[in-house]
Amino acid sequence: MQSENCPNCGAEIFFRSPALPAVICDYCNSTVKRIGKALEKIGEVAALPFDVSPIQRGTAGTYDGLNFEVIGRIRLGYDQGSWNDWLCLFSDMSHGWLSESDGQFQMVVEAPIDQVAGDAVQQWAAGGDPEVGERVEINGESFVVTEARWAKCIAAEGELPFAATTGWDVFNVDMRNADGFAANFEREEDGPGLYVGRYLTLDELSPRNLRPIHGWAMPDYGA
Amino acid sequence: MVPDPPEDDRPNPWGRSDEAEVAPAAPTDRHVVTVAGDDAPAAEQFNCPNCGGTIEVKAAGYTVSIACQYCGSVLDISNADVRIVARYEEEVRKLELPLGSRGTLRGIEWEVIGYLRRSENAAYPWDEYLLFNPYHGYRFLDTDGRGWSLGRQLTVAPQSLAMAGFTVEGEFYEPFYAQTRAQVDYVLGEFYWQVAVGEEALTADYVRPGKMLSWESNAREVEWTLSELLEPNEMTDAFGIDPPRGGGLPLPHQPSPYREKAGKMLKLALVAAAAIILVTFLFGGTSDPQTTTIRLATNGVEQEAKIGPIELTRPRQAVTVSARAPGIDNAWVDLAYLLVERNSGIVYEASNVVEHYSGYDGEGNWSEGSDGSSSKFSMVPAGTYDLMVEAAGSQWLEGQYAPSNGADVEVTIAKGATFFSNLIFALLLVMAPALWVWFKHLNFESRRKSDSDFGGGDDDDDDDDD
Amino acid sequence: MNRGFFLFGIWCLIVTAGFAYASFAGYSPFADGARSTAARGPGGIIILPGGRGARDARHK
Repeated sequence: MQSENCPNCGAEIFFRSPALPAVICDYCNSTVKRIGKALEKIGEVAALPFDVSPIQRGTAGTYDGLNFEVIGRIRLGYDQGSWNDWLCLFSDMSHGWLSESDGQFQMVVEAPIDQVAGDAVQQWAAGGDPEVGERVEINGESFVVTEARWAKCIAAEGELPFAATTGWDVFNVDMRNADGFAANFEREEDGPGLYVGRYLTLDELSPRNLRPIHGWAMPDYGA
Repeated sequence: MVPDPPEDDRPNPWGRSDEAEVAPAAPTDRHVVTVAGDDAPAAEQFNCPNCGGTIEVKAAGYTVSIACQYCGSVLDISNADVRIVARYEEEVRKLELPLGSRGTLRGIEWEVIGYLRRSENAAYPWDEYLLFNPYHGYRFLDTDGRGWSLGRQLTVAPQSLAMAGFTVEGEFYEPFYAQTRAQVDYVLGEFYWQVAVGEEALTADYVRPGKMLSWESNAREVEWTLSELLEPNEMTDAFGIDPPRGGGLPLPHQPSPYREKAGKMLKLALVAAAAIILVTFLFGGTSDPQTTTIRLATNGVEQEAKIGPIELTRPRQAVTVSARAPGIDNAWVDLAYLLVERNSGIVYEASNVVEHYSGYDGEGNWSEGSDGSSSKFSMVPAGTYDLMVEAAGSQWLEGQYAPSNGADVEVTIAKGATFFSNLIFALLLVMAPALWVWFKHLNFESRRKSDSDFGGGDDDDDDDDD
Repeated sequence: MNRGFFLFGIWCLIVTAGFAYASFAGYSPFADGARSTAARGPGGIIILPGGRGARDARHK
């Protein structure tokens, strides 16, 4: 863990991994990117709107045998609402996203899009549009498209693998299959990306250090 | 704690309340309800831009639309500003399960935060309540007056089994309600999707005992919800709601109260039936036959014969006397038996007839009767017996009675008997109660399925289910 | 196992046991032969009811 000072306001900021070059300063909401040895303020994010998410930075858990800690989040909004994508740093220094939407959770990890077998994904990467309800194949598994929408970054916090700024756009496609596996396809300025994983309930992550919320009993597993 | 509703003489800066246009966002003083201690706050609060009432948002961050609990106006709160989507000035309905109620169902505490009344084109209405717990997400509580079901949205996509139904988590659901148009008639409270009165969706339902799998499709997405039927006491224990009145058709996913009982009873009855059949094989049948042959007199006079001694050794036993007249046709033999015990003088009697007829008529050859018959004596006590037989023959010759043609009849007496009538009677006795309960189960299922769009009841079904 | 099922079990047991006894003792309510009110009188003569007349039991 490397400690630095925010180039905008001087507050202390932390970098845990070379793969996560961006940090949102908790004090001034500046998006700070580490470029080589230098730190640069790239932009800003808006303050996070209030929510009652049970996850917070510092929440820890286990996924597929690997322990992780939540160290960042971006909040994305679209015309029907918004959701959180929590950045999870695994004990082997890889990272995944815990996507939280309407009380449902999915953990996904990036899969290199050029190594993925599936015509649909390649079409979307080239600019094609998916249809909600469409059945597609990814690496031999059949998925159904449940969402396809443009979303905008509303706010962010903590450490991130990219420099998120308010207003940054992404086209997001959600897919799921009969066994609870999930896939997300994203298309943004930097290019397309594919994330695969599965839906799960909070208790399946064996979470610790969940956010205590006034008036609600913390589940046994969450403290 | 529910805030007081606003006074009647509140200012209404938005002009007349029946104006339809969407007003610009009013200053709503939207803020987090702070709490003492380290816990994160649980709610945020703002004033309804229409009526000024204080509204609490319990699922902040997820809720995108909220219908004011004082005036019913639908507000969009997905952005920082609060936008009026539809303005109402109605008396807000009193709900069976009030918003803000908290209760524990199946081990998890829930708060009621939203309410929808939906219907199939304004007919067959039902209530949907949205439950929330920040650590467990959302659930739905549905009722149509007959019972409550607890549902959750699925994250798996059910697997379809051709047209026969869907499988989720290894369990099969058969179709019950075909695709129908559902509309929203009334909303109150908060939702994580944009609600609107009049919004339409297509719904279809699949069932298995105790559970319902519901499919819903609207302009935006397709959703699957899995619901479980709650016992009446679960809602009473959790929210103090009175159980629904009985009567009416069973719910589509109501489990038959007779199924398990009928199954167990039938299994037991089959075991008893097998035992009864086994006993028949063990103790049935005859042994130690003794035979005599009587030549029938051609003048029709009774001929007599005697078989004996017959030693019966068991305290009680059956005795079978059978007679055979091979080749008999269009004739009959009258037989009388007397079974006489040598020492005590006890007599058992029976009579029988061996008859066979055949002929040819407009429909072809016909025949009736057989060339043998048997008589069974029940519970004959031990002793030494003689069987006295009297036989007289007659025949039907060219349309009238005639004396016998002098044929032979063979009479055999044997120990024991196979009483098929006993067997049938005993089997009926054990099967009847089980079949009765099974019948009640079938009747229940028939009533339950009568409301189904698929193969229910005796009415015409639609052939086409899209 | 509730009370109704238990009672049905007893019922099955009674019917099966009754049937077993009836099979062993040769009992049936549907039997053809019946105990006759005739009796064997002195000298081996069978006296039948209804005055059919005496018969010599040792005939033939």
